[in-house]
Amino acid sequence: MRGFLARRLIQSLALLFIVLTITFFLLRLAPGDPMSRYYNPDFSPETVRSIKESLGLDNPLAEQYFRWIASFARGDFGVSLRYQRPVRDLLAEAIPNTLRLTVAALALHLVLGIFLGVLSAAKRNSPFDRVNTIAALFVYSIPSFWLALMLILVFSLKLGILPSSHMQSLDTEGFSALSLALDRARHLALPAFVLGVASAASTARYMRGSMLDALREDYIRTARAKGLPESRVFLKHAFKNAALPVVTIVGLSLPFLFGGAVVVETIFSWPGMGRLAVDAIYARDYPTVLAINFVVAAIVILGNLLTDVAYGLLDPRIVFAGGKKG
Amino acid sequence: MNGDDLSIAAPPRGLWSQGWTRFRRSRFGMAGALIVLALYLVAIAAPLLTPYDPIAQGDVPRMRYVPPCREHPLGTDKFGRDVFARVVYGSRVSLTIGLLAAAITVLLGSVVGAAAGYFGGAADAILMRIVDALLSIPRLFLLLTCVALFSGSIWLIVVLLGATGWMATARLVRAQVLSLRNLDYVKAAEALGAGGRGVIWRHLIPNTLSVIIVAATLRVGGIILAEASLGFLGLGVPPPAPSWGQMVFEGREALMSAWWLSTFPGIAIAVTVIGFNLLGDALKDAFDPRQIA
Repeated sequence: MRGFLARRLIQSLALLFIVLTITFFLLRLAPGDPMSRYYNPDFSPETVRSIKESLGLDNPLAEQYFRWIASFARGDFGVSLRYQRPVRDLLAEAIPNTLRLTVAALALHLVLGIFLGVLSAAKRNSPFDRVNTIAALFVYSIPSFWLALMLILVFSLKLGILPSSHMQSLDTEGFSALSLALDRARHLALPAFVLGVASAASTARYMRGSMLDALREDYIRTARAKGLPESRVFLKHAFKNAALPVVTIVGLSLPFLFGGAVVVETIFSWPGMGRLAVDAIYARDYPTVLAINFVVAAIVILGNLLTDVAYGLLDPRIVFAGGKKG
Repeated sequence: MNGDDLSIAAPPRGLWSQGWTRFRRSRFGMAGALIVLALYLVAIAAPLLTPYDPIAQGDVPRMRYVPPCREHPLGTDKFGRDVFARVVYGSRVSLTIGLLAAAITVLLGSVVGAAAGYFGGAADAILMRIVDALLSIPRLFLLLTCVALFSGSIWLIVVLLGATGWMATARLVRAQVLSLRNLDYVKAAEALGAGGRGVIWRHLIPNTLSVIIVAATLRVGGIILAEASLGFLGLGVPPPAPSWGQMVFEGREALMSAWWLSTFPGIAIAVTVIGFNLLGDALKDAFDPRQIA
């Protein structure tokens, strides 16, 4: 187990290193003098010189590259050109907000996906199952920004039940802890739904298939032969085994969740990393853009590492030796 | 593989003809094929379907924000342009971008995947780690970064969508090549002195073609969605070209008073993506090598 952990950890670090390298060369690949992208007509000559110095743009390429890697490894992402603040501080504010949104979406994704998938498998080929199949296809193909706008149109503008932007009401003074929590939950409802529902659709399909596979196994026949009630066979024996692969889905869905957060945060004025990225791109704020890429990749890689470990801990069949699972 | 079924071999039928037979039996697949076909007809016949110009501004004070009516079945927008005409002409933008970008992902993915699978060793390790790294940056972040660095025209958007979407195809092709390269005819070709490039182009890629085509079809839907997302963020095809994502974005400011502006282009995106996904899923089921007994 320890050897497996160490190996996966080294792999993850290597991946991060490659991400950094790609990002670095992406910036250098862009046409024109990379420096010209940092210029702003309002900058004084001193500012330009200090930026140039802080970026090390007068040094040879190899040196620039190693300085870049070293500063990122220290968590020093430079200064945002738009906000004139350290990018690290901007990220520290945005990351928890994005995590709140993505964790809520992930929870919805798993609960809804597993529930509908199991129900579909239980009622295989029934009208419910067919409707589920078609609904999953639709939800999966609908653009999330359009779904968001339609939900805002119905629930915020027409019915006025749910708020359409921000993380909480502007004036929360005098709110009790409970009503503040409720207020935040109401603000979270629409964005988390939009972000989670498409993944829920694909997980439901996956869960259905996984359940049907499990139901064909020998141990199910044994359980039935023992005379166990069908509900117990279904939930205890089949479900427990079928739910295991879903753990890997959590890892695989992370890039989609964070990618989706870009659009969802922009629509719902949610002050997270996706919105920060879009704003930074409008403002051509390259240090911020590149730092966000790196941090999001780091979160995704960490998430994948944790999923692998969790999977290994949950499935006794996996032996952590020689890099082979089975 | 049924153990009892060892009777005389069935008459030899090609992979393609078997797959085609299976595909025709899929109702969802046929529905997808019809949708995609209809979309191409709409794109080609756009000038016959609507008398209005999708780009030129209308008589603004009088013709802006006209709700759906007989002359303008989907209403008009802020500039007095007919929304139906823009949705119809928008199919050209989406389909062109989807197809070209998918072609780029397939080309890049096949070359990288085939090279990694065929040469193995260090080349394989390096290429696949790059694939892993690129896959760990969420697609939209990667796209936004590229759009910000290389400011945009429609062709650039096509190239960027292709350049950020080839990784899954590379993995797929690599796996296929790995399973093919130990087959006798590949070894025979090598024994006869065929070089790496010859074996890849003559034997490995043609035999991976079904996998590649299926992957490409499934990719088109995702690419059209990604292009629409870029358009919605105001970073896609430059206006005034009618891009569906951008139309949803422009309709956002008048969501309450002119609901038709965002609604109809969104439906167009959804229908297109559903069409390509249905088609791709059915092709995958029909041409999956594991299905061939």
